[in-house]
Amino acid sequence: MQLQEMLVAPFTEFAFMRRALAGSIALAIASPPLGVFLIMRRMALTGDAVGHAILPGAALGYLLAGLSLGPMTIGGLVAGLAVAIGSGVVSRTTILREDTSLAAFYLISLSLGVTIVSVHGSNIDLLHVLFGSVLALDDTTLFLLATIASLTLLALALLYRPLVLETVDAGFLASVSRSGGVVQVAFLALVVLNLVGGFHALGTLLAVGMMMLPAAAARLMTLEMTAMLVIAVALGAAAGYAGLIISFYAGLPSGPVIIMTAGLFYLIALVFGPAGGFLRRLRPRRHLEG
Amino acid sequence: MSGAAIRFDNLTLGYDRHPAVHHLDGEVEAGSLLAICGPNGAGKSTLLKGITGALIPLSGSITLPDMKIRDVAYLPQAADLDKDFPITVFDLVAMGCWRRCGLFGGLSRSDSRVINDAISAVGLHGFEARIIGTLSGGQLQRMLFARLLVQNASLILLDEPFTAIDSKTVTDLLGVIARWHKEQRTVLVVLHDLDLVRSYFPQTLLLAREVIAKGETTSVLSPENLRRARSMIEAFDSEAHACARTA
Amino acid sequence: MVKLVGLAIFLACALTANASQAAADNAGKIPVVATFSILADFVSNVGGDGVTVAELVGPNGDAHVYQPKPADAKALREARIILVNGLGLEGWIDRLIKASGSKAPVIIASKGITPQQMEENGHVGLDPHAWQSITNAITYVTNIRDGLIAADLGRQDYYRANAAAYIDKLHALEKQVSDKITQIPPERRRIITTHDAFGYFGRAYGFSFIAPVGVSTEAEASARDVARIINQIKTTKVPAVFLENVTDPRLLKRIADESGAKIGGTLYSDALSPPDGEAPTYIEMMRHNIDVLTVALTQ
Repeated sequence: MQLQEMLVAPFTEFAFMRRALAGSIALAIASPPLGVFLIMRRMALTGDAVGHAILPGAALGYLLAGLSLGPMTIGGLVAGLAVAIGSGVVSRTTILREDTSLAAFYLISLSLGVTIVSVHGSNIDLLHVLFGSVLALDDTTLFLLATIASLTLLALALLYRPLVLETVDAGFLASVSRSGGVVQVAFLALVVLNLVGGFHALGTLLAVGMMMLPAAAARLMTLEMTAMLVIAVALGAAAGYAGLIISFYAGLPSGPVIIMTAGLFYLIALVFGPAGGFLRRLRPRRHLEG
Repeated sequence: MSGAAIRFDNLTLGYDRHPAVHHLDGEVEAGSLLAICGPNGAGKSTLLKGITGALIPLSGSITLPDMKIRDVAYLPQAADLDKDFPITVFDLVAMGCWRRCGLFGGLSRSDSRVINDAISAVGLHGFEARIIGTLSGGQLQRMLFARLLVQNASLILLDEPFTAIDSKTVTDLLGVIARWHKEQRTVLVVLHDLDLVRSYFPQTLLLAREVIAKGETTSVLSPENLRRARSMIEAFDSEAHACARTA
Repeated sequence: MVKLVGLAIFLACALTANASQAAADNAGKIPVVATFSILADFVSNVGGDGVTVAELVGPNGDAHVYQPKPADAKALREARIILVNGLGLEGWIDRLIKASGSKAPVIIASKGITPQQMEENGHVGLDPHAWQSITNAITYVTNIRDGLIAADLGRQDYYRANAAAYIDKLHALEKQVSDKITQIPPERRRIITTHDAFGYFGRAYGFSFIAPVGVSTEAEASARDVARIINQIKTTKVPAVFLENVTDPRLLKRIADESGAKIGGTLYSDALSPPDGEAPTYIEMMRHNIDVLTVALTQ
């Protein structure tokens, strides 16, 4: 088979591959830009925290409606948002910074969730049930991903300047406007929305990995903010496509392979990245005249 | 224009019930160029924070009769700026336009002109596209002054703006301050360098927890006043009783 | 006055008698801890009134990935018999027993069974789901009976009688299953299910089960495996796919949609359903499974 044919055939032949690609691309459009900001705000481990924070919400959803994914997802979303908003508020009204207050809240949330699950006596790993796979996307889930992606892009376009301001010089923003708090909380809410939607549709690994790795790679490749966002999205989409192809031909699990591909991009950027990779440091280019 | 820009009424400011500034009374006239001096721990930064509204008075009040908080521009002692952020000088200075330019849409042509003028006024012409992480300390400070220029505020507060800055930058920035004074804005500057104060600032407030003296610089910075200021105790008194002068 | 005192004394005696009767009811009952619901069902049937049964992995639970709780250790410590499946199903049980400090004898229900192998992600291991063959289930029951007798010699006749009655029921069940299977044409005895737990059932009753992932419920599918299954279903015309009660059904639905196979219903493999569900006991579970299979495959 021709190489060209090989790269396209899996998607023409199988509907589940088309859906997987669509889902990965939807995720790649919305998540990496958020990841860029998370990196700038030194909150790169937020994804992990949110993954644990959603447990009590999912547990309550399960208690009320059984193993139904809709209520569990909504429950998880509510719990995640509560944690995100709570930590945003705390970090603005006390001396604790965003990362500390988020850590505190998600731990409380997680222990609450574990208690609820234990008391009820269920033996099912709730989160395991909630987290989906990129190969199992149905129409409703694709629609969910597409909606989240559109919402995120819209919100980011609106919030871009205040968000940049809040990240670069929060003190200045606070001295000229009261919108700093709103912006911070809105940003965290967007992160939670994307992560919970991502967990539900694609599993934890894919959702968090897609948010952080392309962004980290982009950070090493350019110093300009807009370029960084665009590169992050492009890398995410490329990882999704390449990962699915590899999973198809090599028989490897799809979610992890997509993330490993994104990780590979990161490693390449680490070595060759024009904006801070190793090679650039070791062998700088000749300096200019002025 | 005359009239008070700031009015202090039996103001006590501090942290955790310990006063940094005690029973301050008085006014700052609109349009004045006032240096604030005093030993370490005298309450100078605290006073500025109180004026911006960031610190709530322990008792008494600060009023800004003709102004809203947004008419105040404040440059803190150590900028909480994330220097690693990939933002250009132009975009950072453009932050000063925030209030006028709004959330949405780009900058208008006149806004851009204002920003470019400000960048030139502080001697950073040509630096517009540079990423802020590549600037030296002096250049960063110039950039922050440019942002203040763009803010176009009636009241400008500067907390020790010349610490560890090279002398050429200091001279240039003093020129900017002089320009503000000429434009009849009210400018308060906390400074340690008394020679600088004597050369460039017509009015001085000498603070040592309480007002030692306020008024014309040469008389305020007399040897006797300075001696009184130095004898002020630096530390909070851990066994202090409630202040008897609280009205 | 005398009448009142008399009445009081009478009441006191009646109450005491009642209490001691209740204590006598529970006294002498052997506390048994079974690792999961199917074993618990077996031992309840054999032990009857002679035992109180506690189970660790409850209805719809997953014994492969179970996380023990402190209460489980307590139950183990107070048990006089511990009943496990063996064949590698409960990877967590040995450490738990050790941690609980329990000295109770462990009955391995699957003792004496010829184990089958299964392939899991390329390497071959033991398939623990032996109870899916009714012949094996009968072996389980005899092992349990012998273990109970060893611990409680006084009631051996009672246990023997219970076990014999239950084994009769299992024989009847086996006949029912065979009869139903004859209704399904041999070329249609092929199904897809997510959990590779039906190896013994398949071999015993002539079914082939195809699963997109191996036995472990943790494993994640690769795109190639999913594509293969879809192709396989299409070419071999497997009529139905079945959901299984302990794993995520979404992947299975995808495969069914794309391959044209029907979703046949839910099969119970590793756990019973809750008491109000479709499969609250082993016998009802097997009956449910064969009914569901017959309906889906004879259309």
